[in-house]
Amino acid sequence: MKEPCVVGIGQLAVCHSPEQLSCLGLGSCVAVILYDPQTRVGGMVHVLLPKAPQKVDMEAKYADTGTRKLVKEMTLNGAVKDRMVAKLVGGAQMFKNLNVQFANIGRFNVLEVRKTLREFPIKIVAEDTEGDRGRSALLDSATGHVTVKKVFSPTRVM
Amino acid sequence: MAEENPGKALEIIKEFANIGAGSAATALGTMLDVDLMNDVTSCNIMPLSQVPEWLGGAEKIVAGTYTQLCGSLKSGILVVLPSESAIMLLKHLTKEQVDLSNLNELQRSCLKEVGNICLCWYLIAVSKMVDIDMIPAPPDATVDLLGAVLDMPLAALGTKVDTVLAVHTCFKALDKEFEGYFLMLPEDQTLKVILDRMESKR
Repeated sequence: MKEPCVVGIGQLAVCHSPEQLSCLGLGSCVAVILYDPQTRVGGMVHVLLPKAPQKVDMEAKYADTGTRKLVKEMTLNGAVKDRMVAKLVGGAQMFKNLNVQFANIGRFNVLEVRKTLREFPIKIVAEDTEGDRGRSALLDSATGHVTVKKVFSPTRVM
Repeated sequence: MAEENPGKALEIIKEFANIGAGSAATALGTMLDVDLMNDVTSCNIMPLSQVPEWLGGAEKIVAGTYTQLCGSLKSGILVVLPSESAIMLLKHLTKEQVDLSNLNELQRSCLKEVGNICLCWYLIAVSKMVDIDMIPAPPDATVDLLGAVLDMPLAALGTKVDTVLAVHTCFKALDKEFEGYFLMLPEDQTLKVILDRMESKR
């Protein structure tokens, strides 16, 4: 089988069954995963920050604009908005004792994604978010299953 | 200046980081009683998404200690140890068995302190050189995927830019299997100040 396509920070990808997409080493970043079970089109965006400023240079870097762009790209690739379901992975707080401006950016990322998904509305069917551990996510577009790997913990399929 | 002559700017920043890392490695070496050697500093300008890959892959398990400068200069600084080196360091300092998946309070604190000492020595050396006080926030340490460890410093930079300058200095023990690296991710404004100061000293 072909290697899964890796979605880096601030990147976005859409794939058709049976291709796979993955986000490696998510800390405070969030992977927003959308899936249309009928056409079996899957998409993933790896967002770094919650809210985009007025002038956006890179839409996929921000939770709000990134999520909207992903829905658009999915639609262009044959997915239908009303059938899409969302899964979220990431948004951890890696450095709990650090008292700086961005200490809990992960939580804000997750909240912003949830808020943006409500606009459509797209239902969130599964989440593996927050906490203090990094994660890797793998989307299998043949089934829509998302495999979440954490260091020192068992793998979870959702 | 960074825009006019990126090659020269990179050279200057390399020299800057070399001196910082040299001082930090000496401190760490003394503490561990090993001879540490600094490798050549490499620095590179790249998109945010490529930083984890450049450092050896987002899925590597590392012990990372991170802090941010909170004075007039802004930069994220990290000390990163591969998991085997972190185990060796903790065994040496605490004389206990080490399980990275379940560090006890002492081991966690030890990791933080080692990072703290390294980072402070790094900063002392470079702040002397450019004659600006650099004040770090108290650091925090974690053992996790490299990509996850890097998220926070990248988020801090990501609000302003899409490409970052990363400065990376490896250190290695001569006789034992011990290695790691320092990573500095300065903000644009900070970079300009450093470059100006370094230039005027020549």
